Amino acid sequence: MKRVLSLLLSLLMVLTLFTACSPAASNGEPEAEEEPGPAEDADVIKIGVFEPLTGMNGGGGLQELGGIEYANKVYPEVLGKKIQLVVVDNKSDKGEATTAVTRLIEKDKVVAIIGSYGSAVSIAAGDIIKNAQIPAMGASCTNPMVTQGNEFYFRACFLDPFQGKVMATYAIEQGAKTAAVIMQNGDDYSVGLANFFIDAFKNLTGDENSIVDVSEFQLNESDFNAILTNIKAKNPDVIFAPSAATTAPLIIKQARDLGIDALIMGGDTWENPAIIDVAGEDAEGIVLSTFFDENDPATEEAQKFVEGYKKELAGKEPIIPAVAALGYDAYILLRDAIERAGSTDGVAIRDALRETKDFEGVTGIINFTEEGDADKNLAVIKTVKDGQFVFVDSVEVK
Amino acid sequence: MMNKINNKKTSLYLNILLIVIFAAVITLLDTNVIGDAYVRRILNLSAIYAIVSVSMNLVNGFTGLFSLGQAGFMAIGAYSVAIFTVPLAERAKIFYITPQNPVLAQIELPFVAALLLGGFLAALVAIMIGVPVLRLKSDYLAIATLGFSEIIRIVFTNIKSITNGALGIKNIPTMPTMWVFFGIAIISIGFMRLLITSSYGRAFKAIREDEVAAEAMGINLFKHKVMSFSIGAFFAGIGGGLLATLFATVDPNQFYFPVTYNFLLIIVLGGMGSISGTIIASFVVTAGLEILRFFDEPLTLFGISIPLFRPGLRMVIFSILLMLLVLFFRNGLLGQKELSWKLIIDLLSGKLPRKKTGEGGGVQ
Repeated sequence: MKRVLSLLLSLLMVLTLFTACSPAASNGEPEAEEEPGPAEDADVIKIGVFEPLTGMNGGGGLQELGGIEYANKVYPEVLGKKIQLVVVDNKSDKGEATTAVTRLIEKDKVVAIIGSYGSAVSIAAGDIIKNAQIPAMGASCTNPMVTQGNEFYFRACFLDPFQGKVMATYAIEQGAKTAAVIMQNGDDYSVGLANFFIDAFKNLTGDENSIVDVSEFQLNESDFNAILTNIKAKNPDVIFAPSAATTAPLIIKQARDLGIDALIMGGDTWENPAIIDVAGEDAEGIVLSTFFDENDPATEEAQKFVEGYKKELAGKEPIIPAVAALGYDAYILLRDAIERAGSTDGVAIRDALRETKDFEGVTGIINFTEEGDADKNLAVIKTVKDGQFVFVDSVEVK
Repeated sequence: MMNKINNKKTSLYLNILLIVIFAAVITLLDTNVIGDAYVRRILNLSAIYAIVSVSMNLVNGFTGLFSLGQAGFMAIGAYSVAIFTVPLAERAKIFYITPQNPVLAQIELPFVAALLLGGFLAALVAIMIGVPVLRLKSDYLAIATLGFSEIIRIVFTNIKSITNGALGIKNIPTMPTMWVFFGIAIISIGFMRLLITSSYGRAFKAIREDEVAAEAMGINLFKHKVMSFSIGAFFAGIGGGLLATLFATVDPNQFYFPVTYNFLLIIVLGGMGSISGTIIASFVVTAGLEILRFFDEPLTLFGISIPLFRPGLRMVIFSILLMLLVLFFRNGLLGQKELSWKLIIDLLSGKLPRKKTGEGGGVQ
C-alpha cells in the first residue's frame, strides 16, 4: 500500500514537472514557445489578461473578461497578425496577482497586459509591469494609485475623483445645499469615492459646513439604523453612499423605512439588478453614475458594441455590465496603440498610447492624462423608475 | 556498529553536497543563468511562506497551542516595513486623502532595521495579548487569537494617518537578490530549529504532550507558553515584512483572517511538529498552485477542445489532491519526524517499518 502510494505520488510530481516545462503545448502553439527570438517573429501577438476569475471578485472579473473576449472576436488581428489572449486568474489575491503577471511576462512573453478588476491587485502588479517595460491597460480599477508614478500603466475608466465630482455637480444641479455621506470602512473604492465627493461638494457650494454628516460602516454590517437616525436628525438634501451592491439595498430600504426622503445617490457599483430586487419599491428614485448606458450609445463604436454584445450575451445577463464595456475599450485602445506603434516593443506601444487622441471608445471619447488615466469628461447618470434603470442625463465636467 | 558510523559519515557528506547544490542553484537563479523572474518569484514566496509556517508550527505543532493569529502578526511586520522604508519623497503622493503623521513622515529606516522593528513589535504585541489569552486552551485559544488578528486588521484600517487606511501603501522598495529571502529564511528557520532542540524546546514538547505532567516536572507553563507564542509572532512579523517588500505594496485586506488558514494548511500537510515537513509543504503548496495553472488553460487534444479545462479547474484539482493527502497521510507528510538521509534511504529501500503509528512516540 505504502509503496504503491509513494510511487503514485512521485509519478504525479514527475507529471507536474513535465507540464510545468511545456505550458505552450497546451495552447496549441508549440512553435511560439520553442522559437527563442522575440515575440514579433511569431505569427501571433500575445496579449495577457489578468483578472480575478475565482475568489472575492470572481463575478466582476468574469464580466470584464467577457467584454475583452468579445473585443478579441470583433478585432482579431493587428499588424497583420492574429491576437491571442492569454488569460490568467489572479484569485483576487496579491500574491497570486504578482506571480500571474510575472508568468505572463516571462513565460508567455506577452506584448501587453489588460487588467485587473480590483485596484489592490493592479497596484501589486504595477511594479513588475513597470520594471519589465510592458504596457498595461486597466479596465475598471479606479484607485488613483494604480497609474500614479507608473508610466507603463494606463486605464480606460474614469477615476474616483471624477466620479465624485460628477455626483456633487448633479446633486447641486438638483438644488441640494447639504449632503450626508456614508462609506464602508476598509473598502478603498468606497472611501476614495466618498472623500472626493466631499471635496467636490464643499468646493462647489463654497460652504465648509455643507457636508452635515460623515459615517462609516464595517464590512458585512447589515443594520444601518443608528447611522441613518443620526443623518435624519441633520436633515440633509442628499445622501451619498458609495457601497457594494450587497449593502446598498439595505441602506436604501432602512433609510426609507425611517422616513428619510432625501435623494439617495451611489457610484457605478449600484448599477446592479440585485439592488432593485432587494430594495423593491424603495429603490425608486435612487441616482447613480456609471460609465456607459446601452440605451444611449455615446459613439458609433458603442452602437456596434451594444448590438453585437447583446446577441453574444443572449439573455445571460439582463443588461450589459459597464465593466464589460470597459474591458472592450481596454482591448481596442491597446490594439489601436500597437497598430500605430507598428511594433510590439513595450516602449513604442507606451509612446503610442500616450499619443492617443480623441479615440472613439464604447464609453466615450478617450484621451490620456499625464498619469495615463482616461481623461473622460462624460459620465452617465441613471435612476430607477418602475423597477428599471433609466437614463437621466449625461453630465459633463470640466 | 560499523554501519552506524558509516551512516553518520555519509549523512555529513550528503549534507555538504546538498548545501553546495542549494547555494549554487540559488546563485545561478539569482544571476539569471537559469530560470526567470517567474521562477524566482515563486521560490521567494515559498521561502517567506516557509518562515511563517515554521513559526506557526513552533506554536501549534511543538507547543500544542492552537493559535490562529498569524495573519495579525504578519500585518504588523508588513506595515512596519511599509511605513518606514518608502522613500520620503513619495510619501505625500501615497497619503493623498489623510496626510501622514508628521513625525512618521520624517522617518526613513533601512530595510533590515524596519524588518527587525516589525518583528519586535509583533513579539511585543504577542506578549501583551499572550498574557491574558494563553490561559485559554485549545479551541478557545484559537477563537481568541483569531479575534485578535481581526482587531489588528481593523485597527490598521482605521489609523489612517499612519497606515493610509484601506488605500494601502505602495512603492515599497524591493530587494534585488533572492539571498535576502533565502538568507533570512535560513537564519530564521535555523534559529527555530536550535530553539526546538534546546532545553526550551524540550519543555515546549513536554507542554504539548501533557501540561499537568510538564508542570509536575518543574516546567513553568506560563513562561514557556508566552515565550513560544512571542517567538512565533516575531518570525511571523519577519515573514510579513518580507512579503511587503516582495509585493512592494500592502493593504489591510491582504491580512484578512483566511490568510492564516493557508499556513494552517501547510503545517497540517507537512506534519504538525516537523520543521522539514513544513518547509517541503510550503514549497509544494506555493509552487503547486502555479504548476497546476496548466489546468486553467484551454486544452485541445487531437483537435478536440476539452471543455473541462477552464479557469478555476486548478483549484478543484488542488483540493482533490489535498483530500487524498489527508486521507492517506493522517499525520501530514512527515508527521513528527524530521527528514534525514536515513529516512530517505530507508524509504527508498523499503526498509521502513510497516506499523507507522508506533514510531515517533508522540502520536496517540
